[in-house]
Amino acid sequence: MTEAVKSLNLVRVYQSKEKVEALKGVNLSIDKGELFTLLGPNGAGKTTFLRIISTQLMPTKGDAMVFGYSVLTQPKEVRKHIAVVPQDVATYGNYTPWDYAYYFARLRGMPSQTARQAAEKALKSVDLFQLKNRTCSTLSGGEKKRGIIASALASEADVLMLDEPTSGLDAVARRGVWSALRSLVEAGKTILLTTHMMEEAEMVSDRLAIINKGDVIAEGRLDEIKRLVNEKYRVIVSGHFDKLSDYGEVTKIGDRQIVYVKTENEALELLKTSLKLKLRAEASPITLEDVFVKLVGGINNESH
Amino acid sequence: MKVIKDTLIIAWMKSYPDLKRNPLLLIVIAVISAIPLFFMAIFASEGMLIHGLIGAMVSTISFIGVASGIQDVSWDRYVKIREMIVAMPVHPVSYAVGVALAPLFLSLPSLVFFGVVASAWHFVDVPTVAWTILTLVMAWAAMSAIGFIISTYLYKASTYLLNNISNLLGLGLIFIPPVYYTETMLGGLSWVSMIIPTSNAAGLIRYYFGLLPLTREAVVVRWLILIVTTVVFIVLTSVKAKWRET
Repeated sequence: MTEAVKSLNLVRVYQSKEKVEALKGVNLSIDKGELFTLLGPNGAGKTTFLRIISTQLMPTKGDAMVFGYSVLTQPKEVRKHIAVVPQDVATYGNYTPWDYAYYFARLRGMPSQTARQAAEKALKSVDLFQLKNRTCSTLSGGEKKRGIIASALASEADVLMLDEPTSGLDAVARRGVWSALRSLVEAGKTILLTTHMMEEAEMVSDRLAIINKGDVIAEGRLDEIKRLVNEKYRVIVSGHFDKLSDYGEVTKIGDRQIVYVKTENEALELLKTSLKLKLRAEASPITLEDVFVKLVGGINNESH
Repeated sequence: MKVIKDTLIIAWMKSYPDLKRNPLLLIVIAVISAIPLFFMAIFASEGMLIHGLIGAMVSTISFIGVASGIQDVSWDRYVKIREMIVAMPVHPVSYAVGVALAPLFLSLPSLVFFGVVASAWHFVDVPTVAWTILTLVMAWAAMSAIGFIISTYLYKASTYLLNNISNLLGLGLIFIPPVYYTETMLGGLSWVSMIIPTSNAAGLIRYYFGLLPLTREAVVVRWLILIVTTVVFIVLTSVKAKWRET
């Protein structure tokens, strides 16, 4: 598969009152036609990475390539291939979704008629065509966000870069955006998405990387990421249970305890014991969030 | 060619939605500039009204010029439309000139109105109209450059602070110096009007209207000051402004 984006030892240091190393030599590669998610806690370096790749910010060291063009030395070429939706993007109240989609398509160099077609297609793909002439001041948060995403789509860029595009949206609006993103991948677009929401990463990603404090600590498909930890199941036990740590690693969340076990039999054994003690317990395969917390460093860990 | 096309697209996208959905704005722009005329009509002599009309033309273009540089740019940063444009194949000059041109479209109806009234009041010939337009364009460029320099050097200031600065600066540069009144009223201090772009432009227009006697050398000096200050502001802005953060 062809590489759409490749970062080469990307370093970014912010010099303010104190030196902050936002990226510490990040090497990532994103294939053409995949949805790649950069997952990390707040302040992990996700936005910095995206801003460098999208030619908005210069790296302190290293370089990145978009379709073989260097963001350092060939930003003009890079810009022909990308479209960006920044984090916490807002809208002008007197603009309509059509204005955003149409004018952004025009700025790509499209003639008027082509831009109209691109805007129409983009608005339909995010299910906003019916509202195309409503001013943004009268749209909901999700509709505004989809309007901005449509402006990026209308550009018909090969790579879309979206920085936490669903933050602040309700579940229904979020799913609308996810659906639009997956349709774009099906249509051959490459998408780089940043998020701190595990569910989002699990739901839409082809591949993902977990970034923490400027370092990539895991990269791969969802199943590959999950294989990075030995435990395969988790059992959530509510109530007091002595010697729970005999079964596996325990994470306490208030009065609930999550026990991570390696095999299905261990999970069943723990379930049976909990039920005998008249405690509420439920077992399930580990989630991306479990893996993420383990890799990034969780809370109240109690190893056996 | 794309640079010019993009400039016009940005100017259009930053003015047309306002024109279409908030047409009252055109009246507001005209009224702000016309308010001093109301007081002049009541309290000043009839002969002062033509000075007031010239002031209204300069005011229309200047107030909105400085606002475009400060407010539009800071709001573009706030809503992050600028970040999106930076990541597009758009030249920074297209963006800056487009942002500055947009209010010119919005102020055009007021300008035409004041211009027609002034011409009817005080008959002017074609060369005078041409020189007046040229002077107004320079005043617009100078005031936009002042707006850009402020939004560039106060990069981290809040949008609200920048809006207040824009309003104060607009009012200060329009209503205090001799824009609505002739600089001869300042006596020995009349030279001050040359160093402020708004009053300098108003003085030049008065000269072309035959309302202010100036020597040919004085006119050249005034033009030079207007051009040099505009260029200096543009250079200072371009030195500091960063299209791409470093």
